[in-house]
Amino acid sequence: MSNASMQYRTAGPETNRQKIGRKIWANRWIYLMILPVVVYYILFHYWPMLWLRIAFYDFRILKGFEGSKFVGWKHFQSFMSNPDFLTIMWNTLYLNILSLIFSFPAPIIFAIFLNELAGGKFKKGVQTISYLPHFLSIVVVVSMIRNILSPSMGIVNSILKQLGGKEIYFIGEPGYFRPIMIISGIWQEMGWSSIIFLSAIAGINTELYESAVIDGANRWKQVLHITLPGISQTIIVMLILRIGSLLSIGFEKVYLMQNPHNLGVSEVLSTYVYKRGMVNNNYSLATAVGLFNGAISLVLVAVANKLSKKYSEISLI
Amino acid sequence: MSASTMKTKGEKVFDVFNVILMCLLIILFLYPVLNVLAISLSSSSPVQRGEVTFYPIGITGKAYHNIFNNQHIWRSYANTIYVAAVGCVLGMIFSTAAAYPLAFGNFYGKKLYAFMILFTMWFGGGMIPSYLVMRNLKLLDTHWALIFSSLAPAYYIIILRSFFQSIPISLIESARLDGANDVICMIRIVLPVSRPVLATVALWFIVGHWNSFLPPLMYLNDTDKYTLQVVLHDIVLQASGKLYEVEAAVHAGEGSMVIPQQVQNAVIFVSLIPMLMIYPFLQRYFVKGILIGSVKA
Repeated sequence: MSNASMQYRTAGPETNRQKIGRKIWANRWIYLMILPVVVYYILFHYWPMLWLRIAFYDFRILKGFEGSKFVGWKHFQSFMSNPDFLTIMWNTLYLNILSLIFSFPAPIIFAIFLNELAGGKFKKGVQTISYLPHFLSIVVVVSMIRNILSPSMGIVNSILKQLGGKEIYFIGEPGYFRPIMIISGIWQEMGWSSIIFLSAIAGINTELYESAVIDGANRWKQVLHITLPGISQTIIVMLILRIGSLLSIGFEKVYLMQNPHNLGVSEVLSTYVYKRGMVNNNYSLATAVGLFNGAISLVLVAVANKLSKKYSEISLI
Repeated sequence: MSASTMKTKGEKVFDVFNVILMCLLIILFLYPVLNVLAISLSSSSPVQRGEVTFYPIGITGKAYHNIFNNQHIWRSYANTIYVAAVGCVLGMIFSTAAAYPLAFGNFYGKKLYAFMILFTMWFGGGMIPSYLVMRNLKLLDTHWALIFSSLAPAYYIIILRSFFQSIPISLIESARLDGANDVICMIRIVLPVSRPVLATVALWFIVGHWNSFLPPLMYLNDTDKYTLQVVLHDIVLQASGKLYEVEAAVHAGEGSMVIPQQVQNAVIFVSLIPMLMIYPFLQRYFVKGILIGSVKA
């Protein structure tokens, strides 16, 4: 695409250099557009990556980076020999595994049931309401959890007491931490996550359903043999992407749900990094742990992406 | 959907069951929000006895009256509106400027540029390095730290790019024949045509900043600069109500006191109001946005 108003200076055929120069000049506005974006990305995405190297030093914030001593793998070693290391890793991993088992299928099942509803206002209404929890902030969600599970004022304990039982201190009991995390996660994201699956279901060829009906298949058989296979590609891609984040647990919700009683199950990598780094100001150690986490996640995501490419044209690149 | 016109008895039973199930789910989705509102509007005794569920008992506006006069809460509201507004406007400018070249550009360095953006979806500096960068840029304890921490996310750029790519190329080409350069193409053609996706991403920015908790927690120190979620966190989950002068309303003439939990719930509900207003009307834009981003044509 050339600028029609460009004028050539030479009479002869164009040299390569002129071709390059012309293309650069033709794209000058594009370069102008990407300039602030590039500056932003370098400053706020790539410069932080440079700072990762303090994981290999004894970074003293007051002395700045120059005043810090190189210590190699010391922080990584001290983290891995920390008695809590395995617990923290397991907590992080296990929460994700539970989420994979329970939270991943929930939107799929919800989408299938939703799809079976007759269309119209009711269906639209259910969908719209199911998105509501997704728009609540995590602070609000955790506050609501506190409300509902409150021993004196919450509805769960009210029902328990009416059924003749005793009230349970859900928030205080470490055993309930994981179920609460998973169930509230499903509550918050089931509706929103079902959007992708609903659109995949809508994309299934209706002729398949019609011929199945002619063959005498009832609704259940239709779901089993048409709907599920029809969205299997979407499911696999989403599943693989989910596996890519197997070692990353978001900081905010866990941090808000933590208390001194449940640290044994609730301390995950991200909260550990926060406490060591932002609270204890042990920047190097926290960065090392963060880098450790990030590196593993990177490998997982790369593997996941390669796998998802194999199964479909959909990928993150 | 099936094209059958005759349903077996079993299928009819299933339909009824499905509707009941959905109604149950509606109740489950709505209950926590209604509960917050109910607690905040009730009298203290029913709340303490655990009688308040969907609807308020012994309605009183004391909790809201308490908040209404509270400077700190108003200030954090204003701070959050400021960050959301500036963050949205700047974010849209940067994100669309980032996406246009990816969609329409043919320039040296395009591959490198694309990689620069996409790589950040896989790997990043993390919490501490980001904090140190903000510190070095002297942005700590400013609202700019919040705005810059989420200015042009790769995911949004991808969504915008996907949509731009679906614009009929003939529109662009005819503009170019008329001598338009990229900036004019962008402003006069691409942007007006892209209203749905622009609305979507703009709303994502607003909701994102409104609900943002970790960045203000990390970067802000001055309580006057706090945004909504941090204040909420302090009041509700840390019970640091005193810091913000959120005290239980004192026993007044009508004999209905309000306990701290109720004031907390009132603050929660007040923080929800913008989200509750935005999402029903505009959720169709959000839905479109996800679909555009997830399925590459």
